[in-house]
Amino acid sequence: MAADSVWRRLFRLWALYGSMDLLWLARGPRIAVPFILSDFVTGIATITATFLLAERFNGIGPWAKPQVLFLLGYSLLVRGLIDVLFNFNMAQVSRRIGRGQLDHLLIQPQPLWMAFLTEGFAPFSGAGMLLPGLGLTVYSVAELQLSVSGTWVALFALYLVGSIAIVLSFEYAWASVAFWAPRAAEEINSDTWRLITQLAPFPLEGIAGWALAGLLTILPVGLVAWYPARVLLRMAGPPWAPLVLPVAALIASAFATWIFTRGLNQYGRTGSSRYLSLGHRR
Amino acid sequence: MRALGLAGYLKTAAMTAGVVWDSPLFLIDFALRVLRVLVLLGLWRSILGAGESAAGVSLAAVLTYTVIAEVFSEQLAVRTTLPEAFWEGTLVMRFLRPMGLIRQLSAEMLGRWFIHFTFFSVPLFLLAPLLGVDPRPASAVNGALFALSLALSVLVGLAMEQLFGAATVAFEQPVWIVDYVRTAVSTVLSGSLLPLALYPWGLGDIFSYLPFAAMAWAPLAIFTGVGQPLPLLVSQLIWLAILWPLGTWLWNANREKLISYGG
Repeated sequence: MAADSVWRRLFRLWALYGSMDLLWLARGPRIAVPFILSDFVTGIATITATFLLAERFNGIGPWAKPQVLFLLGYSLLVRGLIDVLFNFNMAQVSRRIGRGQLDHLLIQPQPLWMAFLTEGFAPFSGAGMLLPGLGLTVYSVAELQLSVSGTWVALFALYLVGSIAIVLSFEYAWASVAFWAPRAAEEINSDTWRLITQLAPFPLEGIAGWALAGLLTILPVGLVAWYPARVLLRMAGPPWAPLVLPVAALIASAFATWIFTRGLNQYGRTGSSRYLSLGHRR
Repeated sequence: MRALGLAGYLKTAAMTAGVVWDSPLFLIDFALRVLRVLVLLGLWRSILGAGESAAGVSLAAVLTYTVIAEVFSEQLAVRTTLPEAFWEGTLVMRFLRPMGLIRQLSAEMLGRWFIHFTFFSVPLFLLAPLLGVDPRPASAVNGALFALSLALSVLVGLAMEQLFGAATVAFEQPVWIVDYVRTAVSTVLSGSLLPLALYPWGLGDIFSYLPFAAMAWAPLAIFTGVGQPLPLLVSQLIWLAILWPLGTWLWNANREKLISYGG
């Protein structure tokens, strides 16, 4: 497929899933309100602890209060964008694999990556965290009186993509376990999601070196918000610090793709055993 | 046991304890809990220096609070298998068993607790000194009153579980959405993550009057000696007296809906 036709198809699919999302919400406030409100409440709750501490102590360690607000805003933006772009279990894909629902994507006349990239588009029901995140980021940037150049904005956008890639790579790498153990690992992404999103909004300066190293590599929680926020706020770091997140995102994406492809090959041999002949899940 | 009618509940608890081993996912949950403790301990140490205190809460007390909150996290935020039963539509099967429904759910919860307490909570408690934390209560009296307060907090938690379960069905809301929102709200309001005494703008004082505080803040404040035991215990008893009749009424009022919900 030529590049321009790929983009055309991607935009058509995004428009399609976006309108379906709107139609679903338009069924009435009984559907819309709980979904949007729950997203908003759970998102705000994840940053509340850090926010309350920053307010009570006028900052946390080396982080001044507006810097903490920037960290929280960035963290909400990452989560909000994932909710908008990879909703409906596209970020928790172990559920799709474990439930045998990958077949629903495989029978579609399009590449699997295209389905992953578009089917979770929920610009209305998934946007509960996006506006608070954007508001918090803009407010903190103004409070900090950061000189926002075009380069800084480009770096900010690149870092958002990098952080999202880190989260999704972590999720997809763990989700691959569901290819080999569909029943046991169906919900593995619920735990990995909690692991990576609950700890992301915290400043990590106070923890031991070995634990910090682990949180920047094996469990890359620190790369979701803490490390990028430090670089974007020009807090102390080596000259190569801005390269860490993009390089880590590339490595993580390559690893996730490799292991997911291995799992997919396994799935191609065994298929899903989760459905009974009468259609019910085992 | 048989004479007391406990045999069925013990067997139910044992069966649920066995289910924990069906999937290795609980290890990820353990990892999350350890990391949460490490991050929070680091956070407190970067906020309060050694020997410093805020609102009468010393660094040592807040570190103990953090570790004990994680050691007893399941008891301080009670969750039964009710949401799963709703999700799978299996609550009707539980109605058919010759056992009380809330007692069945409690037995299943206790079975799960046994595994998590033995393989996570006890080791974390024992390893706390290696993290530079003294996990002992403020005094022997505080320790004894903590046990009483913890028992009350579990009862308040069970009442809340019944209340939220009935409300989920009464208002026909998706079970997981209610569960997520409840977890998010109670984490902030209960003081299970941060001591309420350290909230800004006097928010902690307001939150301490809510039922969520009776689940976590009360026992933890008693354990660490940062709160007066008597008012905390009284507040727990008051919430018990309010929530159990309310939850039971709502539960009974929606009994038919409950039986057919989910699946």
